Amino acid sequence: MPFTAKSGKFNASIKTVTIGTGDKAITLGGENALPLQSFDAPFANAPKVGIEITDFGMEHEPECIQKYYEGCSTIGEIAKKAASFEGVDFLSFRLEGGDPNGANKSTDELIAMVKEVAEAVDLPLVICGSKNAERDAELLGKAAEAVQGKNALILAAKEENYKTVGAAAGLAYNQVVGAESSVDINLAKQLNVLLSQLGVKPESVVMNVGTAAAGYGYEYVASTMQRVKSAALSQNDAQLQMPIITPVASETWSTKEATQAEADTPEWGDQERRGIDMEVETAAADLACGSDAVILKHPVSVATVSKLIKELV
Amino acid sequence: MALKGLDIFKLSPKKNCKECGSPTCMAFCMKVAQGAADISACPYFSEDAKAQLSEATAPPMKSIKIGTGAEEMVLGGETVMERHEKTFVNKTRYADSLCNCMDEATIEAKLAEVPKVDYDRIGERMYAELIYVNYSAEGSYDYVELVKKAAALGRTLVLGCTDVEVAKAALAVCKDSKPVLNGATPANYADMSAVATEAGVVLGVSGADMNEIYDTVKALEGLGNKNLVIDTTGATVKETFANTVQLRKAAIKDGDRTCGYPSIVNLVKVAKDDLHLQAALAAVFTIKYGSIVVMQEITYSEALPLYGLRQNIFTDPQKPMRVEPGIYALNGADENSICLTTVDFALTYFLVSGELERSGVPVNLIISDAGGLSVLTAWAAGKLSSSSIEKFWKEADIEGKIKNRKLIIPGKVAVLKGEIEAKLPGWEVIIAPREAVELVKFLKDMQANGEA
Amino acid sequence: MTLFDVVFAGNDAVFGMTEKAIDDAIAANGADKAVALPDTAYSLPCYYAVTGTKVGNLGEMKAALGVVKTLMTREKRLNDVFMSGVATALCAEFIETLKYMDGAKPYEAPCYGHLADAVIRELGVPLVTGDIPGVAVILGAAPTAQEGVDLVKSYQAQGILVTLVGGIIDQCEELGYKTGANVRVIPLGKDVTSVIHVVSVAIRAALIFGNIQPGDAAGLMKYTMERVPAFVNAFAPLNEVIVACGAGAIALGFPVITNDQPTVDAVNGRVPKSLIVQEDISKFNATSLEARDIKIKITNIDIPVAFASAFEGEIIRRGDMQVEFDGSRVDCFELVQTKEASEIEDHKIEVIGPDIDTFEVGSKHSIGYVVEVAGKSMQTDFESVFERKFHSYLNCVEGLMHTGQRDMIRIRISKDTFNAGFRAKHIGEVLYAKVKNEFAAVVDKCQVKVYTDAEKCTELRHNLAIPVFDKRDERLTSMTDESVDVYYSCIMCQAFSPSHVCVVTPERLGLCGAVSWLDAKATNELDPQGPCQIITKEKVIDERIGEYEDVNEAVRKFSQGALEDVSLYSIIEKPMTSCGCFECICGIEPLSNGVCIANREYAGMTPIGMTFSELASMTGGGVQTPGFMGHGKHFIASKKFMKAEGGVARIVWMPKELKETVAERLNETAKELYGIENFTDMIGDETVAEDPETLLAFLEEKGHPALTMEPMM
Repeated sequence: MPFTAKSGKFNASIKTVTIGTGDKAITLGGENALPLQSFDAPFANAPKVGIEITDFGMEHEPECIQKYYEGCSTIGEIAKKAASFEGVDFLSFRLEGGDPNGANKSTDELIAMVKEVAEAVDLPLVICGSKNAERDAELLGKAAEAVQGKNALILAAKEENYKTVGAAAGLAYNQVVGAESSVDINLAKQLNVLLSQLGVKPESVVMNVGTAAAGYGYEYVASTMQRVKSAALSQNDAQLQMPIITPVASETWSTKEATQAEADTPEWGDQERRGIDMEVETAAADLACGSDAVILKHPVSVATVSKLIKELV
Repeated sequence: MALKGLDIFKLSPKKNCKECGSPTCMAFCMKVAQGAADISACPYFSEDAKAQLSEATAPPMKSIKIGTGAEEMVLGGETVMERHEKTFVNKTRYADSLCNCMDEATIEAKLAEVPKVDYDRIGERMYAELIYVNYSAEGSYDYVELVKKAAALGRTLVLGCTDVEVAKAALAVCKDSKPVLNGATPANYADMSAVATEAGVVLGVSGADMNEIYDTVKALEGLGNKNLVIDTTGATVKETFANTVQLRKAAIKDGDRTCGYPSIVNLVKVAKDDLHLQAALAAVFTIKYGSIVVMQEITYSEALPLYGLRQNIFTDPQKPMRVEPGIYALNGADENSICLTTVDFALTYFLVSGELERSGVPVNLIISDAGGLSVLTAWAAGKLSSSSIEKFWKEADIEGKIKNRKLIIPGKVAVLKGEIEAKLPGWEVIIAPREAVELVKFLKDMQANGEA
Repeated sequence: MTLFDVVFAGNDAVFGMTEKAIDDAIAANGADKAVALPDTAYSLPCYYAVTGTKVGNLGEMKAALGVVKTLMTREKRLNDVFMSGVATALCAEFIETLKYMDGAKPYEAPCYGHLADAVIRELGVPLVTGDIPGVAVILGAAPTAQEGVDLVKSYQAQGILVTLVGGIIDQCEELGYKTGANVRVIPLGKDVTSVIHVVSVAIRAALIFGNIQPGDAAGLMKYTMERVPAFVNAFAPLNEVIVACGAGAIALGFPVITNDQPTVDAVNGRVPKSLIVQEDISKFNATSLEARDIKIKITNIDIPVAFASAFEGEIIRRGDMQVEFDGSRVDCFELVQTKEASEIEDHKIEVIGPDIDTFEVGSKHSIGYVVEVAGKSMQTDFESVFERKFHSYLNCVEGLMHTGQRDMIRIRISKDTFNAGFRAKHIGEVLYAKVKNEFAAVVDKCQVKVYTDAEKCTELRHNLAIPVFDKRDERLTSMTDESVDVYYSCIMCQAFSPSHVCVVTPERLGLCGAVSWLDAKATNELDPQGPCQIITKEKVIDERIGEYEDVNEAVRKFSQGALEDVSLYSIIEKPMTSCGCFECICGIEPLSNGVCIANREYAGMTPIGMTFSELASMTGGGVQTPGFMGHGKHFIASKKFMKAEGGVARIVWMPKELKETVAERLNETAKELYGIENFTDMIGDETVAEDPETLLAFLEEKGHPALTMEPMM
């Protein structure tokens, strides 16, 4: 008697959202099966992998990242280099220096960099904010204006600033709007509803439902993503059918596992290897729970996760 | 649909005799419904009732015990597909691997490496609990010898061996430690089952595809062997993933008991030598249904995030993880360093300690018992209050251990400032920002002003 | 002259002017001569938006004028007025466009004339977000330049975008008042037709931000009406053309406020609320905001000390205290009252009685403050919800300590805070700012009266406050599940109990004990996308257990399908689920045919054979567990408490402490339902029994009603 697997195909599906323009444009979403379960129903679009650079260039990066960017001095060169690594589907530029509690760089300075990055590469762009909602309201609006016509993903509008970021990115400058909420399915849904009430089209919204490094309260991330996907597919909840993007690098590369020097904990062994494993394991978990795209930093991580996706989907 | 406690109670003897160990029949029946007690513990249920209930209350996936003593562990026994529905009960176990195809130097090096990863993370010992000892007909190293050496590590073994005679010989030297014999195939299952049964060990079943596996398990069940695990490893990563997910789904969703066994996923087979890919896959199979995940290497690099992930995934969604109350001296803090307190909810601890570490400012992080709740929840539930802090200060003798008298409290419970100052005379209470991310600047500013 | 006559005449005049201008232009340049407004992709924006047709040359413009003519119907219905208004606006756009022919620059500083798309995108974002709360269009010259400038300044201070047309521009220049896009005061032009440039802003905002398709005139007007918070201030005297333009504004949803009483009287304004006379120029601002329903965010609380949650826990000791108000000794109270909008002058703070600086250091006094609010969506039920927040608002003031509520409040003000200049009116400032901001969804206007006059406090406490409190309590106790039309869901706990949904009814508050029906209602009104959603209960399935089709549907939806159906009043059949926050759990004790209740604080054993935490582990997590249910303490005395199984008479055991807490109300309920006096005396507790047999003996001795009720199972 043969084994008969019941189909896990759903009638509902995740909405598709395209980022970027031209040949290099990527499309997220479209699947009508649970994460990575392409054996239930073929995935219209496999999950995508992005590489992250920041306005600090190589200034804050660990040695093991810096070595890949040797010879790059401008942000444009760094962006070009980042785009050249194997497995990179899109480029994410994080405006880390915008944080008023950090470097608090000027808007003009940061926007000039956004433009430089946008000119340097033809990959789809994701512009990430400074983590400070108030500053991002201004910064991401200007960034959306600066990359007009690029169909970039502006990451992200949060509950505190969704109106400004949503109106600028989604309405005024026709970019894709990231909707960031903090590991709670209801907050995720609420933000999507609010964005749609604002007039942002659902097909221009990508969610970031929260992120954590493996081991750091990851259960909340896992359950939130799984519940979102399940509500989107089995309940046909249109307000949760937006694809999910998860920034991984910014979480994992600040954990002890990735930052502790080998000299401090010799038994832990090579720091670079640890950093990569932290990054790929977290990214793999995200993909297994429902991310349609992940943002990584180490070129080896990008290649590994890209291979993982090819092997699975 | 599992039976409700009340349905079971209706069939119970309603004697409140306490012989089952529960004070009342109602309490016992509720436990049975939860799977926390077995119906056979009650001597008075009628045979009819028992038969009626045992089918309905039997878990969809068997719980399989392996290992002995402190190394005894349970595999499987899961009742849901995703952890938010109900707790994943038996965590994924990771196996480091050896093979008789390795040369002696490699084997010795590995044997020396394995014990190195052994540490504590929030009260849980983290180490490679299993050693997968693979047998290859082409291997030149003596398999039984290898098994002996592996067994000497004190970890539970999984013998990957499809040769009945070799398996028998290997079991002869290690069966008392209750290893898994992962060796049944459509070709040898009857003989292999006899070997496993005789040795009293769990048998692993593999096959070319799910159909073969399914038929072999059926056949083994027919032989009366239900002490099984299923090796879902396929020819490719994709096939392995599909097998593992479909097996779990058939067991849980469709109630197909033939699929209701724990799984073995052998990453060495499908991603040999790509260690990072194996690390990534191990994470995937931790979330998606691997009971045993076999890896080529388990060094700190793979282990640190993986065990952390496992600890996260295999928690009761309603019981938050907690850290031990106590003083955590950060950034080289000593008795003269400023103090900061927060709750024992693990997520809060990780967030706060991470930010504090980033600030580089020496701080004594004092974690008091707040029932494992987050700051606001603990406060609302009365578990974080001036009294709870006062109590902890006495219990832990904070004033005897720390000379500094400045205490930073979470911004969300600023309302406690006055009461704490009243209860801890001599302490100056300082209000932190509401969010942990703002702590870095907050502390750096304090340091710059000479306050910390 | 009627309104029709005036608007039609104005419309005809502008049309005539436009026709002539276009004809002259064609005569001079030929019909193929290109015309366009600069820097816009929507040329000509207004005409394009209304009709879906672009105009690129004079010939097309002439044809477009023909289309405009068709709008100019002359029936005497309101719609004809509006359409003539729109036609007037479109004519104005043509006239203004002609000015830009041959790349001419018809406007020079300070006037802007036509605004580029880029400006609209930039202004549009803060408009959509509400950071620019409104758009004022000021037309004509104020009676005096100072009054005109003061009006402009008042809008500017509120963040409102001000556009100027006509005489007001000269008045600003006359007084040297700074204008320009960077200060959000934009002079458009001196001809009345230049008003089209602000209309064009509104219309392009609809195209860009509202995704309105050109040609969808109805969608366009709906958008401008709902989403573009513009209004017109037109100074007397109004002429026919201005009135016709005004009709266009009203058609787009923009009210017109004017000081020209005679004209309005003459035209017998039949568009109430949209054409408003306000003869006092200083009140133009307030009248306009009210008419357009614009709420200004208060970003700054006007007090001399800091305001932050860090001060919430401050304790002010006697020695540090300047003055104290103590409701336990003298008459004090705090109150929110709903009023008519006309009774309230927004942001008016009155202190009635002596101020703090006349009090001796360390002395004790009476205080009473009444926060009067008005709003279209305000309901008296929200009053207590606001009031309960006063405690945390006032405590956030540096050096101010507030405890208690209603007429049992105590306030201490520290010496430092007093010395910094804090006075009685600042209490009003804090309450005003917080209430206005946090309840903006329902509060349109707010004023505060602070009484420090002892006699007045006594009088108002007894004659005003206490009757209100009594009435509220009365309403709360008299409110039943049957007396309301809807219930509310509460999913605040889903973060850790993913499939749990509380159905909150007047008689069954959330099982955490913290969310009453009124709280849920207020939460819903204030945050319509939030955790509390309306649940209708129209389709009853089973009255006895309280099961409704619509409640089931809601529960299914909010639990993401995890929960199929629930009853409101049964613990055996489809009982409501529990999250984990419940104050109490009740569970069946079969031997005595009743239920035992354990509260969270009780650590001991119950006669069910399980402790609270054991009960909690089987009941929590949003799973239905027949025979067991989490609930709030308050629910114990409810007539709906396990109504399906016979009600509170089923309660056979409770921890002593809990029994004492609920005794009064529970006894009352039992008396009313069954005529039993002192029902709680029949209920066991841990001092009587922790096992079922001893409990049963006790119940038999007391003749507990549960023993003779129908078997529960």
